[in-house]
Amino acid sequence: MSDHAPQTEQPHSENTPTTTHFGFKQVETQQKVALVKEVFQSVAAKYDIMNDLMSLGIHRLWKRYTIDCSGVRSGHKVLDLAGGTGDLSARFSRIVGESGKVILADINEAMLKVGRDKLRDLGIVSNVDYVQANAEELPFPDNTFDVITIAFGLRNVTDKDKALASMFRVLKPGGRLLVLEFSKPSNELLSKTYDLYSFHLLPKIGQLVANDADSYQYLAESIRMHPPQEELKAMMEHAGFEQTTYQNLTGGIVALHRGYKF
Amino acid sequence: MAQFLSANVERLLNHVIGLDPDSQARLKKLQGKSLQVRLRELPWPILLQFSQRIDLSIVEQPDDLVKASCMLELNIETLQQLRDSSKLTQLIQEQKLILVGDMYVAQSVSSLFQELHIDWEEELSQYVGDALAHQTFVGARSALHEAKTQIEAGRSKLSAQLLRADGLAVGATELAHFSDEVDQLRSASERLSARLLRLEMAAKVGH
Ligand SMILES: C[S@@+](CC[C@H](N)C(=O)[O-])C[C@H]1O[C@@H](n2cnc3c(N)ncnc32)[C@H](O)[C@@H]1O
Repeated sequence: MSDHAPQTEQPHSENTPTTTHFGFKQVETQQKVALVKEVFQSVAAKYDIMNDLMSLGIHRLWKRYTIDCSGVRSGHKVLDLAGGTGDLSARFSRIVGESGKVILADINEAMLKVGRDKLRDLGIVSNVDYVQANAEELPFPDNTFDVITIAFGLRNVTDKDKALASMFRVLKPGGRLLVLEFSKPSNELLSKTYDLYSFHLLPKIGQLVANDADSYQYLAESIRMHPPQEELKAMMEHAGFEQTTYQNLTGGIVALHRGYKF
Repeated sequence: MAQFLSANVERLLNHVIGLDPDSQARLKKLQGKSLQVRLRELPWPILLQFSQRIDLSIVEQPDDLVKASCMLELNIETLQQLRDSSKLTQLIQEQKLILVGDMYVAQSVSSLFQELHIDWEEELSQYVGDALAHQTFVGARSALHEAKTQIEAGRSKLSAQLLRADGLAVGATELAHFSDEVDQLRSASERLSARLLRLEMAAKVGH
């Protein structure tokens, strides 16, 4: 995976190609998109079961909490960004009802496909649209959504500032953004334990269940590289969000950030 | 996390109404509607949103609360009496219940549960074949028992998790509340268990 060649070579400006992190590795910015894609392409089929295993099922409570904080109601238009296999979309779809709409957007078609199949199995069809899209360049008009959620997605995005600006643009005035993401545990001991878990145990579980230690190694590293609470809050404010706050869940292993567009 | 409780109650509600083949039709009348229930014993309101199933949320911050089609405020004891939808007006007059908004929603929810016709034998005999259907009541009771132990296990597992020293920390009083809720839930499931037993007896007599 590390010797994966960039697919395109032409730099988009006269500057030397910029680099970014892919887990702990430094890679060319353009390459990260392809590498992240590869990770999710390879975990898509086992994604849901791995989620349950990795988080001991707690991810369901984090997501539920996120939805409870979303203020979503009948008739709303919701964007479930980096929505993957559609956990949030399923519930949103029922809540917004026939007069509302949910867009499940993800950059990865394999994840979208698993999501679409799963929602279809749940009998959810009429009010969910599936859109393959990059969070950095959302293909929606300005002021489209009442609520945007991005759960465990932002850390995989190459240019987070650009993505946040794009979300701000497509959010309706009065709308809110919720970012659910791994964060920095507030307690040193928890932080250490968690590191131990994610760097040693997690790739092993990944190897065992999904036969894919590399991808889960990346996941662990990307969690560590993700901006901690205050930094992400500042990034959201920089993108234009107001009344920005966050709540630590499970000791800060995960944080829920929220911000409004006025 | 209150979401642990709401997830379990939600599962229970949907499971129970899923057992009555007619409940989908009654649920349909409620599609797109929502009911907010403020139990005086609980720190947060509960929101029920109806579609082809019931989504239950616990909203901790007042700002996140969605305006519901109907709002009820009452004590836990009164909750039991709500199952009789003809009693709504009486309860309001007795000041045991505050109702704001669309009364029809409250009535429909009430009758959704009141009119549940669950053919337990039929339901469970699907799993074990038609042989001596009443035996299957044993299965129902052990499922119930399992649910109870799950709730109990959840309570102790969660106590630790809930006591976090950060923004979302749940204080000792709230935890006590939560414990009370679990007790309520447990006694509710014990009552259900007793009803099952009565049904089982009735079924035996019928055979
Ligand atoms: C860890 S999964 C989260 C899925 C789902 N939201 C959940 O919580 O279960 C991360 C998802 O982000 C998607 N993703 C990564 N980079 C993205 C980007 N730039 N734009 C949109 N989605 C992206 C991946 O394809 C993947 O499905």
